[in-house]
Amino acid sequence: MKQRTLVVVSAGLSQPSSTRLLADRLSAAAVTAAAGLGVQLSVQVIELRDLAHDLMNHLLTGFPPAPLKRALDTVESADAMIAVTPIFNASYSGLFKSFFDVLGQDALTDKPVLIAATGGSARHSLALDHAVRPMFAYLRAVPVPTAVYAASEDWGGDESEGQLRGRISRAAGELAREIDRREPVTVQDPFALTTSFEDLLAGG
Amino acid sequence: MQFGIFTVGDVTPDPTTGRQPTEHERIKAIVAIAEKAEEVGLDVFALGEHHNEPFVPSSPTTLLGHVAARTQRLLLSTSTTLITTNDPVKIAEDYAMLQHLADGRVDLMMGRGNTGPVYPWFGKDIRAGIPLAIENYALLHRLWREHTVDWKGKFRTPLQSFTSTPRPLDGIPPFVWHGSIRSPEIAEQAAFYGDGFFANHIFWPKEHTQRMVALYRRRYAHYGHGSEDQAIVGLGGQVFMRKNSQDAVKEFRPYFDNAPVYGHGPSLEDFTRETPLTVGSPQQVIDRTLGFRDYAGDYQRQLFLLDHAGLPLKTVLEQLDLLGEEVVPVLRKEFAALKPVHVPDAPTHASLLEAARAETKEKVQA
Repeated sequence: MKQRTLVVVSAGLSQPSSTRLLADRLSAAAVTAAAGLGVQLSVQVIELRDLAHDLMNHLLTGFPPAPLKRALDTVESADAMIAVTPIFNASYSGLFKSFFDVLGQDALTDKPVLIAATGGSARHSLALDHAVRPMFAYLRAVPVPTAVYAASEDWGGDESEGQLRGRISRAAGELAREIDRREPVTVQDPFALTTSFEDLLAGG
Repeated sequence: MQFGIFTVGDVTPDPTTGRQPTEHERIKAIVAIAEKAEEVGLDVFALGEHHNEPFVPSSPTTLLGHVAARTQRLLLSTSTTLITTNDPVKIAEDYAMLQHLADGRVDLMMGRGNTGPVYPWFGKDIRAGIPLAIENYALLHRLWREHTVDWKGKFRTPLQSFTSTPRPLDGIPPFVWHGSIRSPEIAEQAAFYGDGFFANHIFWPKEHTQRMVALYRRRYAHYGHGSEDQAIVGLGGQVFMRKNSQDAVKEFRPYFDNAPVYGHGPSLEDFTRETPLTVGSPQQVIDRTLGFRDYAGDYQRQLFLLDHAGLPLKTVLEQLDLLGEEVVPVLRKEFAALKPVHVPDAPTHASLLEAARAETKEKVQA
């Protein structure tokens, strides 16, 4: 089986959070879907709540404290990502945005991303397509077509739970297919010299 | 090994009193700090260059020329000279003049400047920071070494039959360091010319320094200037000391908590762990500084940042006393004992002149 890595970024604030719950459902579905294609996914989960202070410190000092550095490196080197945020004021949460604000410029280029969100009511579901998707498009990531939104009612009755399960499995399948058709990610060393001095002198 | 201080020349209110020095007071304080550096036995005083508030050193050669007249031994340097927004012709002229007035006690550290809005004030664009640094320095390098220069580039008007005056003292251009935190191109530039490389080493984790210095050393050897451990490396450092380490922490904390750059962010303890900042006793500063060698190798110049974040002049002068009396004498001895003989000291005007004379003599004999 092909080996690939999946990073799950969850911006839930309470513990346990419905955001993390959705993230876990999505990653389990992605692992299953990938296995069906002959791809073994190893999963790492990043809880942004644990990195909240580090994120603000990075914004202020310009460098990431060690735990945040590890998280950023994990995202950059992952073959795919599941990113889940609570919806605040019709958009992603500030914590979620801050993490992607300090991520290296090219860290997500061509990386398949499953975007998902939680909220109190289904009225906010389009925030995924109006706010979260454009951000990942800007970052040159490849958000899969199905974005998964879970409102309070989705965790309830049989019928709605069935709909959520369907969306999860459709999105996970899309993510697995994107992973399957890509080569593993290679990370560029920011300290590596990529040009010769002759080229630099020549204005290259 | 050379020891000294470097300043950015910020005008910052003292957070414990709210009092902000006037520009005049700050400029005079910088001069007093430089004089004190010589008095306590330090080797180098380096002055930043800034063209935006809250910084005062917009005219470094004026200030350094004044310091040159008031000192006898102190080596005057910059931290940094903006190789991007300054005209390299003017750098060549200004620093050659300073070199004459200071009888050779001058070197420079080139830097790019990281404040976007400053560039257009000088007709430049920060997005071309690296190409500007490369082209401008290539011209500066020639202006100090060739009497008559014909030149054409992208960023300034061409030169025909131009001679930069005065010529460098004794025909020896000032030694140049290149400073960069994380641009491999600048480490490469320093290596290409066989110039020195200086790592800021104050606001950043040591890994940045380690990686950049390693790259510079490797490329220095690649270009045939010597072995990797013979490359010329300088490091910054940031310290606050009192005899008793708890007193140092207590006194420095409000300055740290409100400092430009890192204030209102990480705790003093976090920042001390994550960067080379040391707040404590002179012995702690000695131990930490000796540790820099573990990841940078044997190096030639150590500069400390002491006068920022609104620390009053009196406190800074006390810091200089501690540095000169208790820290540097021990560091000199310890570093010298560790350094292999084939690792050179940082070039000075005297050593470069001696080398040039020896070379001429060899040629004559051959």
